[in-house]
Amino acid sequence: MDVTWGVSVNEIAWGGMIAIYLFLAGVAGGAFLTASLTDLFNKTKFTKVIRAGAYIAPIMIIIGLLLLVVDLGRPFTFWKLLLNVNFGSVMSIGVFIVSGFSALSVVYGYLVWSSAAAEKKIQITSGNTQVAAASTSKGIQAFRKPVAVLGVIFSIGTASYTGFLLSAITTNNFWHTPFLGIEAIPFLPILFLVSAISTGLAATLIGAYDCSDLTAYKKTDIVLLIIEIVLISILYLSVKPIYFTGSMTALFWLGVVTVGLMVPLLLSIYGVSKHKNLVVPVCGMVVIGGLCLRYFVVYTGQLFR
Amino acid sequence: MAKKYSMVINLAKCIGCQACTVACKFQNNVPDGQFRTKTPANGLKGTYPNVSMFFIKEACQMCQKAPCVSVCPTKASHYNEDGVVLIDVDKCVGCKYCLTACPYDARFLNKETGAADKCTFCYEARVSKGEKPACVSTCLGGALMFGDLNDPASDVSQFLAKHKGEVRKPEFGTHPNVYYIYEGVVK
Repeated sequence: MDVTWGVSVNEIAWGGMIAIYLFLAGVAGGAFLTASLTDLFNKTKFTKVIRAGAYIAPIMIIIGLLLLVVDLGRPFTFWKLLLNVNFGSVMSIGVFIVSGFSALSVVYGYLVWSSAAAEKKIQITSGNTQVAAASTSKGIQAFRKPVAVLGVIFSIGTASYTGFLLSAITTNNFWHTPFLGIEAIPFLPILFLVSAISTGLAATLIGAYDCSDLTAYKKTDIVLLIIEIVLISILYLSVKPIYFTGSMTALFWLGVVTVGLMVPLLLSIYGVSKHKNLVVPVCGMVVIGGLCLRYFVVYTGQLFR
Repeated sequence: MAKKYSMVINLAKCIGCQACTVACKFQNNVPDGQFRTKTPANGLKGTYPNVSMFFIKEACQMCQKAPCVSVCPTKASHYNEDGVVLIDVDKCVGCKYCLTACPYDARFLNKETGAADKCTFCYEARVSKGEKPACVSTCLGGALMFGDLNDPASDVSQFLAKHKGEVRKPEFGTHPNVYYIYEGVVK
């Protein structure tokens, strides 16, 4: 019956797992950026921020990759992605960017952890062992800076790759939306990069919420939220209204716009220097908004073709 | 000379019997509930007694610039030597990137193999042995034609020389090798 008379329904090829993976890859990239840039430019004051970001990044990207593999039709053949390469395919290039990022984030996380562990040891042991502990950890700590620098490149690559993955589908009018009508610049990589930095920073701040002075980070987040609001407005105006209708209405207006952007922006402007206890709710909303954004983009691009 | 296998679908001759749908399932052992080709009703128009409708065979359009081939991360989706788009099941990891790329919804994830699946023009089982695809052989209305467009004497070349063949969704620049003849149907 449905073969002849049924209206052909657009099946969703990429569902929630992919949306969460894109989100987690963004959080991981943003958290790594927050940690490594802090590490490179202002090491001493914000050790908690560095630690939170350095631990969040590998955990998030590994969970994301697990979801990605589970979502494959043939999960146990995932290694073939590394052997059969197609340089014309964004996904094939992305495999190497994300793999490189995962490896760097694990190494970086270990380096941050081992130096933190060494510091702890110094505090509790006597003067003699202090020197020994400091000198053994010093050897591998020499890699910390190059790993951080290389990781910055790979984290930006990973965060924007999640956008390129979708924007490369030229047959999908929503995903392929160009930036301000300029055909050469795809929109989604820019949006996803900004959202990744914003959500990654937010996740890191949740991990470092009891840090003494987070004002600089809060201000950065306000700037990122404003850029994101501008980008979402551009997106809203450059595509057909149908993408924001039906089951997507609530997800977009409530999840992406209200919870993810407007409320955190107003709250964080209100509590930028005072009200330390606003960090967790504000950052929590930013993170949830980032997840809603990935869900929205992945689904609406497939639902309305 | 390389071949350019092509299918021509003369919609006015299709009666919607689904013999092609069934023949394809038998030929290719496509899992229950999944289809490499189907022929749904389309273009319902008018009010009684002046009504019209036609059936349109849907399957892989065998694009010469196939989005599925260019996005495939493992080169599992490829063109063979005769320009037919095929999937190397052994290379396919089932990432579904091609499913999102195909504007014709011609692809699905095979429930049994976990790999992407679609129409192959029955290349291996029939066409390479000089036969026509199962759907074409079985078509009782004579709506389906199959042959080599590089051979000016073939059925399809002869037919397309006299009739206007249209491709689906030309705006995506995919250059399909499946042509539809709308003569005699109300679009």
